[in-house]
Amino acid sequence: MPKKEVSLEVTQLDNFVYDMSRCIKCKGCYWVEHTYMPGIKFSTRCPSNTWNDFDSYGAFGKMRIGTAVAEGKLKWTPKLLEILYADPLCGACDVGCKRNLDLEIELCLEALRVKAVKDGAGPMPAHKKVAQNIAKNHNQFGSPHENRKKWLTSDIQVAPKADVLYFVGCSASYLNPEIAHATAKILNASGTPFMLMPDEWCCGNTLFSVGMIDEARALARRNIDAVKATGAKTLVTSCAEGYRMWKVDYPKILNMATQDLGFKVMHLLELADAMVQKGALKLAKPVEARLTYHDSCSISRLADPWTPWKGERGWMGTVSPRLKRRRGTEGLYAQPRNILNAIPGVRFVEMPRTRENAFCCGAGRGTKEAFPQLASFSAKNRLEEVRAVGAEVLVSACPWCKNNFAQAAKETGNHLKVMDISEIILASLRG
Amino acid sequence: MAIVKEAYKALEAVVGPEYLSDDPAVCEGYRSGPGGYEAGCGYERVMTKIPGTVILPRTTEDVQKIVKVCNRYKVPYVPYSTGFYGPRSHCHVENELLVDLKRLNDFEIDEKHFYAVVGTGVIYSPLQEEAMKRGAYVVIGGGGAQASVVANLIGDGWSPLSHRIGLPHRRILGTEVVLPDGELLRLGSLAVGDDPFWGDGIGPDLRGLLRGYTGLRGCLGIVTKMAVKLLPFQPERLVPTGISPNTTLALPEKRVKWINYQMPNKEAQVKAMFEIGKAEVGGAVTKVPLFWRTIAKAECKEEFWELWGKENENTIKNFHIVRVLFIGFTSEEQMQYDEKVVDDIMKELGAIARPTKPSDESWIKNADSAGMWLMCGSYMSVDYVIETLSQATVHGESYAELKKKYTPPLMPDYGDPGWFQSFELGHQGYSEFLIYWDQDEDTTGVDHFYVDTAKMNIKNRYYTSLLGPHQPLYLTGPKYGPNYHEWLLKVKEEFDPLWVCHPPVPLAHDVFVEKAEWMKPIKDWESRKITKPQ
Repeated sequence: MPKKEVSLEVTQLDNFVYDMSRCIKCKGCYWVEHTYMPGIKFSTRCPSNTWNDFDSYGAFGKMRIGTAVAEGKLKWTPKLLEILYADPLCGACDVGCKRNLDLEIELCLEALRVKAVKDGAGPMPAHKKVAQNIAKNHNQFGSPHENRKKWLTSDIQVAPKADVLYFVGCSASYLNPEIAHATAKILNASGTPFMLMPDEWCCGNTLFSVGMIDEARALARRNIDAVKATGAKTLVTSCAEGYRMWKVDYPKILNMATQDLGFKVMHLLELADAMVQKGALKLAKPVEARLTYHDSCSISRLADPWTPWKGERGWMGTVSPRLKRRRGTEGLYAQPRNILNAIPGVRFVEMPRTRENAFCCGAGRGTKEAFPQLASFSAKNRLEEVRAVGAEVLVSACPWCKNNFAQAAKETGNHLKVMDISEIILASLRG
Repeated sequence: MAIVKEAYKALEAVVGPEYLSDDPAVCEGYRSGPGGYEAGCGYERVMTKIPGTVILPRTTEDVQKIVKVCNRYKVPYVPYSTGFYGPRSHCHVENELLVDLKRLNDFEIDEKHFYAVVGTGVIYSPLQEEAMKRGAYVVIGGGGAQASVVANLIGDGWSPLSHRIGLPHRRILGTEVVLPDGELLRLGSLAVGDDPFWGDGIGPDLRGLLRGYTGLRGCLGIVTKMAVKLLPFQPERLVPTGISPNTTLALPEKRVKWINYQMPNKEAQVKAMFEIGKAEVGGAVTKVPLFWRTIAKAECKEEFWELWGKENENTIKNFHIVRVLFIGFTSEEQMQYDEKVVDDIMKELGAIARPTKPSDESWIKNADSAGMWLMCGSYMSVDYVIETLSQATVHGESYAELKKKYTPPLMPDYGDPGWFQSFELGHQGYSEFLIYWDQDEDTTGVDHFYVDTAKMNIKNRYYTSLLGPHQPLYLTGPKYGPNYHEWLLKVKEEFDPLWVCHPPVPLAHDVFVEKAEWMKPIKDWESRKITKPQ
């Protein structure tokens, strides 16, 4: 059988025809992994297909649709675009498939969006507005660029030059200054000198996520060059989406390996956990609360580092050279739990769906902008789980999750407190 | 292409516009192939269509109304629970309505009487978890933990745990079936009241109508609700551990344990199954194909082929494992007793015990059928028999011999005779023969092999499960009946005179052979002219 040249580049949908055509409808993408199946409640992990029951909204339906698109058998229509974009690309389908089949589901979905944009059909109007905001003001929300550092207060020590660079991101800069503030205070408390980018711009998460790869690539180049110019050895984020963008998607769209970025990418969770283990960060003040933790997708199942690959697919679908599949095993699963369990007074309780089985908040990757009803549905679904375990505080490590959960809690009249993990850490540091 | 406008309007009145669609993108998601069980074969390419319309009912009443609309407007329809069972559970004719049953997901459990009532949208792993929370368990069929409980019990419903629990039809209790014309049939004790506890009811047992030997694949109505018997388990929790893909259930070693026994030869392997059955011990007693172990060992598809390439006919021939699951149903002492009994049997037979990790990766909660596609990308079980142990254990060897003629395109497996095991404490034996191939190759050989296996079964007088709707009815029916096919068609015509319920099943394989030019060389049987909807 003749071999076919393939790569993992999402700019070519043809690279993923094999993956799309080998979906078997086992729905590993949809159900919580069966070993961890918690029972009749909370049994699914796909927000899109839980929100809309037609098969087409599940990855198994989208693989069939994707095959038809690749073969030119299905035209772009508003319904097709809805199916494609009403999806937070949370990676649950990807790790679910890689339990048994190793199909590159996440890349298929990304490549479909890239094709939608290239064909002039995508993205959704709300995404185009975000793109305009980024082009004009370098942030997602259209806020004045000069306000980006407004969160910074005089009690925070920022070094003019340091090994560590804190990339704040649009959300923490404009919507969630409490996260930026807490993160900076934690870095100060741990004795980690840090600097900020001289002129921080949006990471481009939404651009890449909705398929605007050219715009995202331009931002990636600009941002990487800007970090390199500072001489930083480590870039720290407090945003899960930003973390994934820097660690995984920049290398992906620039066809390079994560390890070749020239600096290390860390989430605050990793740094704080290491500092607590070393004794540099003392979590001494009790936080008396029953807490649960939500694994944000981009620091968990989507967080495996990127390595470019190209080669050949041949007999029985085998590829050469050997491909190390990204299966979501390198997510930050232990760190947040270590931290929360180290805080005196905390009564930590797990939800039924945790780690790679977590149910996405539904906000990320262009979903909340274009399909707020899906984002709201997804967050409310997760809040039912929080209620089921009797937690008083829901902790996450991403401003997108925090904001979406907080809004959903408010809409449902739920008295649950939603906090970022940086705020919890800070609360335990203050004497 | 959509169904007629009047029918669409009538259906919309049943479920509302939110749960009905004829949009091409929505319908495309319900395409059978190109991947999946039996997909990529001729049957899938020739016999399956994209639905004209998809509907998502919520209740039995919804289903009844939908079916009545279909009869009124002569709209063909197919019931669909998870879509996992490949082409045979998808649309076969143009402008067909696909009735997606996933919203029929009601679930009740009766802890006192140990049964659960499930809708068609309920799958196995949540049921198993709910059962285990209450000290009970069910058999998760080989179809996988993601299979619809109802669909699997209608069709298959067995696994290695069937050594203890037995055949699926014994576990089907009170059941609701919407007949092909929309009438509601209540089976078992549901026929006389609301208590579904008894599978047997007044009058003739009509479970055969929905199930037959291994199910009629949706051509005789739609099951909407079923009470399923639960069996007592042991009380300790099986704890999920690990991160996907390396997840497992940690077993409480004094109450649940797997042991692999390496047997000196095939005779000892079969004898061990008989003796363990006679002693009435063990929770599962099975032999598995060697390549399943290789799948479990390999980190990826490429490593599988690297490892598998080191095997040969001799290593396969000399691979005689009996895998035994011990369960302390009543106490730790009971499990110790079971283990000692099996040890005695195995000592006499010259076996060596190979203790395994105290964990379960597949069968108790996660029946891992999806892993079957890793190696080649395409898979189906061409046959399974429930026979005596002596018959079942030689069945696979005949298959392996026939398979040589069709390799390639079938996967090189060095003559592996498949999977066999004890059922119902050795009173019955089970054999399943699985094939794998790459659907990008010419699959004519796969299509021929499938039909050739029916001829082989007829010749060797194996009473196989894949009769009737799974093979050309006019090939198998006269040989197994001699009028099995005629009766099956009479039953179909009696209950579904318009043939609107999943046409042209049970004649679908006959139609396929008629339509596919490449099947002509293998057709050497007589069949009547097929006039029903195609």
